[in-house]
Amino acid sequence: MKPPADAGGATLALPGLLTPEDAARSLDRSRVHHARAGGRRWYLLWLLVGPGILAMLGENDGPSMISYATTGATYGLGFFLPFIVVTFAMAIVCQEMCMRVGAVTHRGYGQLVLQRYGMVWGWFAAIDLLFTNLVTLIAEFVAIRVGLAFFHLGAGVAAALGVVLVLFTLSGGRYWRWERIALGLAIFNGLFLAAAIMAKPGWGSVGQSMVTFSPFPGGSFNTLLLLLASTIGATVTPWMVFFQQSASADKGLTPRDLLHGRIDTIIGGALAAVFGCGALIAGAALLSHGGANIQGLAGAGFPGALRAVAGPGVATIFALGLVEAGAVAVLTISASTGYAAAEAIGVRSSLNNSPRHAALFYSATTAVALLAAGIILVPGAPLLSIALNANVLATVLLPVTLVFMIMLANDRRLMGRLRNTRAMNRTAIAIVVFVSVCGAAYGIDSFLRTTHLI
Amino acid sequence: MTDEELITYLERDQLVADKERPVPRAPLSRSATLGLWALRVFVIVVSAMVIYTFATQL
Repeated sequence: MKPPADAGGATLALPGLLTPEDAARSLDRSRVHHARAGGRRWYLLWLLVGPGILAMLGENDGPSMISYATTGATYGLGFFLPFIVVTFAMAIVCQEMCMRVGAVTHRGYGQLVLQRYGMVWGWFAAIDLLFTNLVTLIAEFVAIRVGLAFFHLGAGVAAALGVVLVLFTLSGGRYWRWERIALGLAIFNGLFLAAAIMAKPGWGSVGQSMVTFSPFPGGSFNTLLLLLASTIGATVTPWMVFFQQSASADKGLTPRDLLHGRIDTIIGGALAAVFGCGALIAGAALLSHGGANIQGLAGAGFPGALRAVAGPGVATIFALGLVEAGAVAVLTISASTGYAAAEAIGVRSSLNNSPRHAALFYSATTAVALLAAGIILVPGAPLLSIALNANVLATVLLPVTLVFMIMLANDRRLMGRLRNTRAMNRTAIAIVVFVSVCGAAYGIDSFLRTTHLI
Repeated sequence: MTDEELITYLERDQLVADKERPVPRAPLSRSATLGLWALRVFVIVVSAMVIYTFATQL
């Protein structure tokens, strides 16, 4: 095959420097080059999508979908339906920055924070992420367990399923293979939309809620803050930032691919918003059937409750959706853990390496999944509390991650002319302030109530 | 494809050898450093509150 004359700037590099990781990435890039040169637009899009859709649909994870369904079952259609769309619009703004920094610098978020701002900040970022990822992964396994409980399968099957999936996807030693398997699974997040349609909601009410943001939920101030914080935590989280930037670099995106990277992120955000709304609408079928009292993370949770109200079809689809949502998130969150750990230590972090060449990356990815799977098998472990608080904790830790993201996206030396514009900065800063206020308000209010100070 | 052909599809700074070269440290102003520490302390305090609330729910 004739090499391109304009494919990139690596022609001056010494051939002896081509590692297996370089070779794998160049094969992927050669397909992108030929698709672009041949004007095959749809094939080019197919080759370049991935990190954005996976970050967004990965965040439509088990706990998030249960959280949306709980909101629907408690309050019905109303403020939180369009609020899901708003939060995914916020996520698109944040994730576009990650994709852009990854494509321009070819380096992961953890690596850049560590090298640009020093060891202290790099390690803080990595420790935050490892902690929230472990908590979130436990919640994912709980969600898989809830879905499988509908089919009378136990926690052992849930733990085994997640771990086997992680090992299977990692076994190829290729980013492309890992990404395509995860994408193939992620598309089944659409099961929540199918469940919503089958639950036969009043589409007029859905449309009215979307336009008017009403009715506004009643109840206590603390409950409202918890719902706001967990809805934000269900759409914008630290792992997504680490994952999309590292995956964009690992995939080999370049500044020429920014348009497709943006399309990938927007498609992911749009699909996730639609499917998230689907979970809320399906949950709303339980509003007048004691929906507020359903424990979504215990037993067969929502699928079990939906069977009596909306029929076995809706319940089965919702249960399968929970298994899918948890499984995809187990893949993406464990990968983001691997990227963060390897980048913090300063060793190779790529799915294009074999486990022998990136031992720490593969070990961290596998170990965090194994640890979370092990915890759900511990009798008496406080799984429900962990799962309920996972999204809130992610929201509380998010502002630091986003501030560094904005700093990297504005770094003139790294980003050159592709750094943030003033309008992008205004929007991003507004998002950081909003997220910080919601997370802090919930944390402080809950603490004061727990300690009986208010 | 040979290594020579393959390498042309990558940008120079996409090569592993180049990516392993650290980027220089960014100068942070005193106010930026103070702001980051303030944010860090704020996040740790709020996280501790959330964890305390979680622990009391057990």
